[in-house]
Amino acid sequence: MSTATALATLPPGLVWQARQLAQQQGPVLPTGHAALDAELPGGGWPGAGIIELLHDHPGIGELSLLLPVLCQGASRRWQAWICPPWQPYAPALQAAGIDLDAVLLITPDNPAAALWACRQTLASGNCSAVLAWLPRIDNTGLRRLQLASEDGATPLFLFRSRNSARQPSPAPLRLALSGANGQLRIDIVKRRGPLSHRPVLLPYASLMHGSSCAG
Amino acid sequence: MRWLALILPDLALQTHLRGIAEPGAIAITDPGPPVRVLAVSHAARLAGIQPGHSVPAALAMLPGLQLRPRDRMAEQALLQEVACWASAYTPRLSLDPPDGIVLDIAATLKLFGGADAIEQTLHEGLRHQGLRIATAQAPTPLAARWLARCPTPHRPHVPADWQARLDALPLDLLADGSDVSPASLALLADIGLRTMGEVRTLPRAGLARRQASAVIQTQARAYGETPDLRTEFVPPPSYRSHLPLSWPTIQIDPLLFASRRLIAGLCSWLTARHAGIDHCRLTLIHERGGEQAIDILTGTPSRNEAQLNLLVREHLGRIELSQAIDSLAIEAREPRPLVQPVGDLFGDPAGGREHASMLVDRLRARLGLEGVRQLRSRNDHRPERASQAIPFDPRPSRSPPIATQRPRGDRPLWLLPQARPIADPARLRLLRGPERIETGWWDGQDIRRDYYLAETPDAARWWIFQELDPPQAWFVHGYFA
Repeated sequence: MSTATALATLPPGLVWQARQLAQQQGPVLPTGHAALDAELPGGGWPGAGIIELLHDHPGIGELSLLLPVLCQGASRRWQAWICPPWQPYAPALQAAGIDLDAVLLITPDNPAAALWACRQTLASGNCSAVLAWLPRIDNTGLRRLQLASEDGATPLFLFRSRNSARQPSPAPLRLALSGANGQLRIDIVKRRGPLSHRPVLLPYASLMHGSSCAG
Repeated sequence: MRWLALILPDLALQTHLRGIAEPGAIAITDPGPPVRVLAVSHAARLAGIQPGHSVPAALAMLPGLQLRPRDRMAEQALLQEVACWASAYTPRLSLDPPDGIVLDIAATLKLFGGADAIEQTLHEGLRHQGLRIATAQAPTPLAARWLARCPTPHRPHVPADWQARLDALPLDLLADGSDVSPASLALLADIGLRTMGEVRTLPRAGLARRQASAVIQTQARAYGETPDLRTEFVPPPSYRSHLPLSWPTIQIDPLLFASRRLIAGLCSWLTARHAGIDHCRLTLIHERGGEQAIDILTGTPSRNEAQLNLLVREHLGRIELSQAIDSLAIEAREPRPLVQPVGDLFGDPAGGREHASMLVDRLRARLGLEGVRQLRSRNDHRPERASQAIPFDPRPSRSPPIATQRPRGDRPLWLLPQARPIADPARLRLLRGPERIETGWWDGQDIRRDYYLAETPDAARWWIFQELDPPQAWFVHGYFA
């Protein structure tokens, strides 16, 4: 019997093969984009842990990518936006179907307080999702956030610059975002599974119109 | 009927010594005249000083004796505070001046696990607050009070022979908590009576003739022969408690310890009023005068001790203590009716392990009110006015519904607080537009702009506008993130 057939006879989940995507522990939140779901372990955003979104230029659809998951969070009370670089525009969020009452804009005045707020919101288990912009976070801070996120079973969408892709990170999922010809290009930097060489391309039109849950 | 009398022995002394571990030799003086020692601390008692001594005599025995004048206001306040706290165990209680409270516990015996359990809880709870009490139970309030005055070890909680025990009590107790005059007491003592029982054997008509009818009435009330009506204690509408620290400090830990004690008192007041608070003020009083107030806000009315303690800790962790703190005070007004959270029979499906508003309270305590905000949209065509971030408000918003169904995607998710001039508009490619916004002429903040959706060379999409007025400059106003 060849190795491949021997492995195929084993019960699923017992032996993980490097060319398969890992089984996601715990719940998974569908991203709302089939092309992206196909590339992520478990078929969606992990329900707990850090998801790093690395990009340099604003306006490439980095938030629109999250709109489907932000619309789903009705079962828990809050959605925390920690240190957003600008103010989110309320009419646009409302039009996308986000409940404005659930959105908490948290703007601490120093990085230590921002990290603290991030951990509190994650560990409380009261947030459907936490979005954070922490430009100068170090590895210790990341590890703490990862633990808090697992502890509270809350996903943390952490926006960082593309430079940080070169730093190691405890985040189980790291995506580099860029814009290309009217499309959002997603390069998967790290995932639990085989290396990805093929970027996921999502047209802006589908980000803006096709994915939102309001209609 | 079952009454429990709770007495604070040496109330004048306890008011001064509360929370002080090793007070030293202290005597409380009664501002006579003549000025006499009213109560003494343990160390002073060991030196031979007794209540009733004159001040020169006491000082002669112990030159280092600290004398403190009696503070009747503080005694009253302490008694009120204890009454507030104790009303968590029965709704029917009354103050029994000068130094006691009587509680009718008949109705709540079962709820708190019996008379023994209630008595034990009272002792323990007040010991945590730095107070020493004596208790006793009897079918009448006066009898309970008298029995509490003469504690006997290992007594059953309501003695079956309680009337016989009353008979054996010394005569002096007649004046305790009643309106028997010292003259009547002296009269009885002069005819050779020593105990209550002996007074009961006297002919009543004779006593009444000698202006001692108060004695008969008092005894009748104590023995349950005539009803003893008491005014029920009503918790005050606002709460204020003051706690001096053992010594001035700039450390956080002693402050936390003291604030926990204050909050325990506050919560029992709230329990007595069946209410919660969403705002209270903790005041740190500096050694050299001056004070620092901390406002503690909770999103929803609450009387959760752990939650308030947590909020206090966040606040104290944040402030800078420039001077030593000498005492703490807590103040609360406007108790609100408490809404009990509705539990889910099958557990909380969201897995939220604490009340959602507690998270916001904690964030606000540490980050300040401006640190936690919410978004509101307004019906205004000017983009900078259509979105507002306001300080967190626990009430649900009344955001106006979007007036017209706009095509989605024509408003950016990020809006810049100030439109930024574009240096080189030629690099941008216009994808959609123009959308003319020309409004606001009525309040002097009018805008006249043509908005476009534009793409940068990095394939980022901006929301840009051109002023219609000269010099017709280009600005970027938002990002389609």
